[in-house]
Amino acid sequence: MTKYAIRRVLALLPVFLVVTGIVFLLIHLVPGDPIDNLVRAGSDPEQRAAIARAYGLDRSLVEQYLTWMGHLAQGDLGTAIVQRRPVADLIAENIGYSLALGGSALAFSAIVGVLAGVVAASFQDRPLDRMLMGAALIGSTVPSFWLGLLMILLFAVELGWVPVSGARHWTSVILPAATVGLAGMALVARVTRIAMVQTARADFVTLLHANGVSRFAIQSRHLLRHALVPVLTLLSLRIGLIVGGSVTVEYVFARPGLGSLLIRAINQRDYPVIQGCLLMLAVAVMLGTLIGDLLQAAMDPRQREEQRS
Amino acid sequence: MYTSFRPLVWAALALGLVSTNAPADAADATFVLAANQNGTPVLDPIRASLVNLADKLIYDCLVQQAEDQSFHPHLATSWTVTPDGMEWTFELKPGVTFHDGEPFDAETIRWWVPKFAGTENAYLVEAIDRVEVVGPLTVRFVMKHPDANLLYNLSSGFMGIPAPKAYDAAGAEYGTKVAVGTGPYRLERFATGVETVLKRNPAYKWASALSKNAGPAPIDTLTLREIGDPSTAFLEMRTGGVDLVVDVPPATVPRYQTLANAKMQTMPGFGIFYMPINTTVEPFTDVAVRRAVALSIDRREIVDNLYAGKGKAATTFLLASLPEAKVDPKLELVHDPKTAASLLDGAGWKPGPDGIRVKDGKPLVVTLWTQSDTEFKRMTEVIQAQLKSVGIRAEISVFDTSAIRAEYKKGKQQLAVRSYGWNNADILDWFFSGERIGYPNISMWKDDKAEALRLKALKGSRTLDERIANFRAYHEYVLEQVPFAPIYEPVQTIAYNADRLTLPATIRGPQFSAPTVLDITVK
Repeated sequence: MTKYAIRRVLALLPVFLVVTGIVFLLIHLVPGDPIDNLVRAGSDPEQRAAIARAYGLDRSLVEQYLTWMGHLAQGDLGTAIVQRRPVADLIAENIGYSLALGGSALAFSAIVGVLAGVVAASFQDRPLDRMLMGAALIGSTVPSFWLGLLMILLFAVELGWVPVSGARHWTSVILPAATVGLAGMALVARVTRIAMVQTARADFVTLLHANGVSRFAIQSRHLLRHALVPVLTLLSLRIGLIVGGSVTVEYVFARPGLGSLLIRAINQRDYPVIQGCLLMLAVAVMLGTLIGDLLQAAMDPRQREEQRS
Repeated sequence: MYTSFRPLVWAALALGLVSTNAPADAADATFVLAANQNGTPVLDPIRASLVNLADKLIYDCLVQQAEDQSFHPHLATSWTVTPDGMEWTFELKPGVTFHDGEPFDAETIRWWVPKFAGTENAYLVEAIDRVEVVGPLTVRFVMKHPDANLLYNLSSGFMGIPAPKAYDAAGAEYGTKVAVGTGPYRLERFATGVETVLKRNPAYKWASALSKNAGPAPIDTLTLREIGDPSTAFLEMRTGGVDLVVDVPPATVPRYQTLANAKMQTMPGFGIFYMPINTTVEPFTDVAVRRAVALSIDRREIVDNLYAGKGKAATTFLLASLPEAKVDPKLELVHDPKTAASLLDGAGWKPGPDGIRVKDGKPLVVTLWTQSDTEFKRMTEVIQAQLKSVGIRAEISVFDTSAIRAEYKKGKQQLAVRSYGWNNADILDWFFSGERIGYPNISMWKDDKAEALRLKALKGSRTLDERIANFRAYHEYVLEQVPFAPIYEPVQTIAYNADRLTLPATIRGPQFSAPTVLDITVK
């Protein structure tokens, strides 16, 4: 298992390098200039040139990329051009909010999704199954900004249970987490249900029934355990969302976070911040995949053996 | 165990929920910042690229500007300027102290002005050669060259004065964790993109004459929240989560009108919507065609239908309240479709069979660029329809704010809808200077007479009156040559919870700021 983990981590290094190149090129090829967002429109051309020099924007793209990578190797994400602060500080200020929202949303997706999937599988093709799967379909297709506003109207405005927006109190994360988590919950519920239904047809399940094992024990100890393998893969792929995939929801609920920071930076073409944020997102996705692979390998020895062979 | 804990869990949950909905303390208030002030990364006016209401409450300026654009004493009680404009002497208010107890005096100013060197805001003090301390409360600016705009600069939010010792001690952390001024509020907590919490400065007794209340602010703890989505801000107001929304977008105003406890107050706008016309591309190399386009815009229709009658039809490039906007009425660009049609006829553009004008077999089809914001798109669609009514087909292209600037620099635009927010006539220099072709001079306009008038206004004015006269002459020439079409001068709308707050009858200053906040009382 340790060797497998080391191999998987090493395999991420070239991916990381390619990602840095793509991130860098992507934002520098989009039209726009951070200096327009930094100085007043009436500034002198000399002042603009001085700022371009100060931030190395007058150099070739290759030089700029190598400089950025050099700093990155030393753990320095650079300084924001428009926001005028170290990128690491800006990310540090925002990532806590993103982790709180994303983590809660992921937990919501996982717990409610698995429960809904198990219940639906247990009542396969009956009204409860159809109702749960119908709700899951709606949850995965309704736009999050609209769903967010509806949830605010119901739970904050009409019922007054939670705050409308902000990040001042722990209760303020409930609605945004539910809004983000609903889409994931719907997916998890559907995958759990399908996996449970398919596994229920396996020979070993028939054998368990023949041995007189109770239906509850088969469902909870055997079927669910097998069904969780694809669910874990799905959840690990959604870890990227934890860090910055909730931009619309952050906007609607007036919450800070990495997504909001990234959008503001994109609008201002604040290159170092965009690079830093996108890199964080890419790393989150890579780590999510890695965690998913490791968990799968831990749960299913066949995976490790396949890799070894 | 489980049953014994359950009541505690419910109690904790209930407390948590109740605490979020509990009414704020009577002397506390929560405001929502104007959307264009969101995201201020640092509360340091010297090196900031964006200042917001918090800066204006933490720091005081030497001079305060009123809503009619006139200048009034604040930390400077009076000033004199020599006839050649080369020396300005300011008398400072006695008894002023910073939030940390450090006294404010002439030495503060001598420390402060050089701090701008090397920052993006250095232009504000560029004309000052040196600062001389004449007495403990008297300071003199010896100028490199006259700067008739000095009072405007000194009243700017970027020229709020920080406490020297605190500023130097905090270093790079100044403005994020520490911000010390002489203003009516001191910084309690600052989180970029979330909120700024301010506490009343109990020692404050040096407000400008724009406020009726010269003493400490009535609101004790003031929270300034950053809420980007206008719908969310509205719902916060509806549920009592906030007490005042500084800048209500026009489209949201009707929703606030449905709230029984909400009142709205408007104040003069701070900018202009306009349409730059690229003077270097056909058919707009012909001034008659440019004028025809400008005269074809029905500004009243835009004000009435898009803005429910709020705001003004813009007829010049400047805010109507600026003295430089008082131009010869004949030069104002108003809706006149008949003259527009005859100008187009005269230029050889005759009506075609489908209503679109044609010249030498070529239809009058132009590009019309706009930004992706809803307000811009709606206005652009109206203008497209209005241009069509005089026989011009405008094809709309939509860009995001940064991308459109990059496109302007290529100089391929013909018409565009955009806006600016600035209450100084030097905006004419920004957008029509021959030295800034492409962006910000989107009109690509370079004219020898205009350049001479511009430089005279910008650098040849020794006094404020001279500057006004020179900029007015430059403005009139710009209007004659029509490198743009004015569209709309918006108002700023403030919504507040009338059950909790009482606002003064007039919002003082060019924007919602400290003079008004000092006069707001909590019921």
